[in-house]
Amino acid sequence: MKVSNDINANLVTYSLGSCIGMVIYDPVAHVGGIFHFMLPESKLDAEKARKNPFMFADSGTPRFFKTAYELGAKKQRMRVIVVGGAEVLDQKGFFNIGKRNHMAVRQIFWKNKVLVDYEDVGGNVNRTIRLAIKDGQTRLKVSGREEITI
Amino acid sequence: MNDIDAIIKKADKLRPIPQVANKVMLIVQDPDSSIKDLSEVILYDQAVTANLLKICNSAYFGLRREIDSLHQAIVFLGMDQVADLVLLASAAGNFKIQQKGYDLRENDLWRYSVSSALIARDLAEMKGLKNNHFIFTAALLKDIGKVVMSQYVSDSFDKIIMLVSKDGLSFREAEKEVTGLDHAELGGLIAKKWKFSDNMVNIIRNHHLSEKPADSDIETSIVYLADIICMMMGIGVGSDGLAYRFYPDVLDSLGFSETDFQQIMVNFSVKFQKVEDMINKV
Repeated sequence: MKVSNDINANLVTYSLGSCIGMVIYDPVAHVGGIFHFMLPESKLDAEKARKNPFMFADSGTPRFFKTAYELGAKKQRMRVIVVGGAEVLDQKGFFNIGKRNHMAVRQIFWKNKVLVDYEDVGGNVNRTIRLAIKDGQTRLKVSGREEITI
Repeated sequence: MNDIDAIIKKADKLRPIPQVANKVMLIVQDPDSSIKDLSEVILYDQAVTANLLKICNSAYFGLRREIDSLHQAIVFLGMDQVADLVLLASAAGNFKIQQKGYDLRENDLWRYSVSSALIARDLAEMKGLKNNHFIFTAALLKDIGKVVMSQYVSDSFDKIIMLVSKDGLSFREAEKEVTGLDHAELGGLIAKKWKFSDNMVNIIRNHHLSEKPADSDIETSIVYLADIICMMMGIGVGSDGLAYRFYPDVLDSLGFSETDFQQIMVNFSVKFQKVEDMINKV
């Protein structure tokens, strides 16, 4: 998890796999961040979640947003992007962690009234996402395709 | 010469795995072998010894004092661990380079291979298996075929990715359809050329469980599962993405629940920074 208000900062999270990359950016405050989590629920391992809450959607997302608010970001101005959550072919049910990660984000956002501006999730592809704090430019590279600006 | 022969011929250009690695594999499988046997074999190869000491001194092990001799390394880390590290130090050359066909940057395939090997070893330990070195080595080397296939995948990438995205083939199946060979099969041929045991050749060839997944032996199942976990965690994943088949029966046959599966990911994630340090040291 990284949040910054340094206009020279370029944040990136490589190779998401089934993990989710969440990007937030406030264009007025020039505050933005990327949060990369691996699994939906911290109850799996409370001890490790206490040491590293950013491994899980439920323990990491509130802290991620809070860190951005502390630097001056406002929820109503924020652009929110969600990418990742890919799955291996034929991966169904409980083992489909990519899909469960995505569901976890939707639930948390629904409860907290956060609207998503752009989403690219699922499939069997790998994704890398970058954010420039200066202007909020966000670039997404999906495996097997050219990088795009979103 | 047809395409398949040309691909196989290209495998001759790989850096051969140093002899020391083969000898170490034999020593650790021999219950009568001693620390002296192991150190005598390793000391013979200075390059491998130098790499080995760098790995021992990485943050992964977090030793309080610097290890500057092979003897110390064996005393501090034990014969089993040192044997695995020799294999790491020997294999690095082929795996660290960029693989354009798979859109893997320098070190990506190496990161993927080392992580798979460490996860496979953890799984083997959880199952109480005795042949952990063997499983570690198989997981480490399983993608050697990619190093050669990379160029051919690059030449035919559009065709391959079309078969994956439109026809629902796995990346491996699409490789085979387009080039006549897939990276796992090719890896098996390379392993044979390098005179690895038949069992090792089989695991490398079948690490995506292309042949009868339900009948797979426990070693192959573990290497397969470690590969899937790395893919899901996005460790060194390239243009083939996650387009490989998932067989939930494998988890059942190994006796791992869905919670175990996630716990393995958490445990590995916690030590990943240290693994990165080790990966960059070689």
